[in-house]
Amino acid sequence: MSKKVMLGCLGVLVGLVVILGLWVMGAYNGLVSLDQKALSQWAQVESAYQRRADLIPNLVETVKGAAEFEKDTFTQVTEARAKVGQVQLGNSPANDPEAFAKFQQAQDGLSSALSRLMVVVEKYPDLKATQNFRDLQVQLEGTENRINVERMRFNEAAQGFNTKRMSFPTVIIANFFGKRFQEKSYFKSQAGAETAPKVQF
Amino acid sequence: MLAGLLLLAYTAGVQAQAGTGTEVQIPATPQRWVTDDAGVLSPAAVAEFDARLEEYERSSGHQVIVYTGKTTGIVPIEEWAVKAFQAWRVGRQGLDDGLVLFIMADDKRLRIEVGYGLEGVLPDALAGRIINDEIVPRLQQGDNDGAVRAALDRLTAVIAGEAAGSGENQAQPGAGRPMTLGEKVMVGIAILFFLILFITNPQLALYLLFTILSGGRGGSGGRGGFSGGGGRSGGGGASGSW
Repeated sequence: MSKKVMLGCLGVLVGLVVILGLWVMGAYNGLVSLDQKALSQWAQVESAYQRRADLIPNLVETVKGAAEFEKDTFTQVTEARAKVGQVQLGNSPANDPEAFAKFQQAQDGLSSALSRLMVVVEKYPDLKATQNFRDLQVQLEGTENRINVERMRFNEAAQGFNTKRMSFPTVIIANFFGKRFQEKSYFKSQAGAETAPKVQF
Repeated sequence: MLAGLLLLAYTAGVQAQAGTGTEVQIPATPQRWVTDDAGVLSPAAVAEFDARLEEYERSSGHQVIVYTGKTTGIVPIEEWAVKAFQAWRVGRQGLDDGLVLFIMADDKRLRIEVGYGLEGVLPDALAGRIINDEIVPRLQQGDNDGAVRAALDRLTAVIAGEAAGSGENQAQPGAGRPMTLGEKVMVGIAILFFLILFITNPQLALYLLFTILSGGRGGSGGRGGFSGGGGRSGGGGASGSW
């Protein structure tokens, strides 16, 4: 009799453990899938920024031809671009808030250097009228817009992950695995950075 | 209980922090290729362009649509265009080879939004030239019909010039490449499985066959109006104002 009860209890216990195990598995896999989604979106963000960096030599060359007195501005742009390339990121910024901050700081530096360059260009109407420069300007606006779009989508993916990660009871699993499921940072639009550099006097 | 409440508040805070703040109002998916919500085009021109773009999609597969509205509200047209492109699912599924010409009459802003699949054919600089050279001067003169007509002439010519047949290539990656031994073995196994399934459960087998053959094709052809399946654009294209 008592053996039967014990056996029953054991059965219930095993059942509970199996259910718990399945739940943990589901929660873990859900987090992994959201994490991967954010990571792949991060790759899109990086490639949009890369597109901008690739545009810069051509832009600087074009402007240099017409506005050679503005050495400082060119140097700033070139330096900022080099800094972007030099940023040492241990982990993917998508998973590491510190790397994320570094990444964004470098890119913001380049953004403001570029804005200054576009301000300088206003002094050279001849340059602005050339087809080559107009094309480059459109391309620059295009890359800035792409960056915004991919950043916005990254924020959405990060929000999806963070919400799941911090919701009860998934938060228990996430905390159990520690750094594996770190909270993701968001891009915050700084004043004037959300639109392509536009110059108004 | 308290912890739960705190957690709830925390999550809500995170959502608020990440939220876009500005809710963008996107109109319902257009029924036709040309939608003149702002009423800036003549009815005859709307009918003409619509028939033309319908025919263009039938022959080339690319969805090119025109939308005129009054304003994008407080958001810039660039953000609005990406969201509308996504909501309307412009282009074929998997190819995203659609294009929308947005004209916002009250804002005096316009944009050519290019789907991922057409970015190679229509780079930003070219879209910018079409806007600056063809569209803006005509809009400034008040020749709205002419502006759209010239834009469509250039856009369809550019897309057709380079993209002839490229949609097919993209649709079947790996076509024309000889199969490796491993792939042959896999295909062999798959066929064997299918034969076994066909003998044991012919209904399911036929259903599967049907699903596989009809899958992968984007959009849903045969409907009366514009209908898309794509919708992914990464902010490619160009904007302008007049």
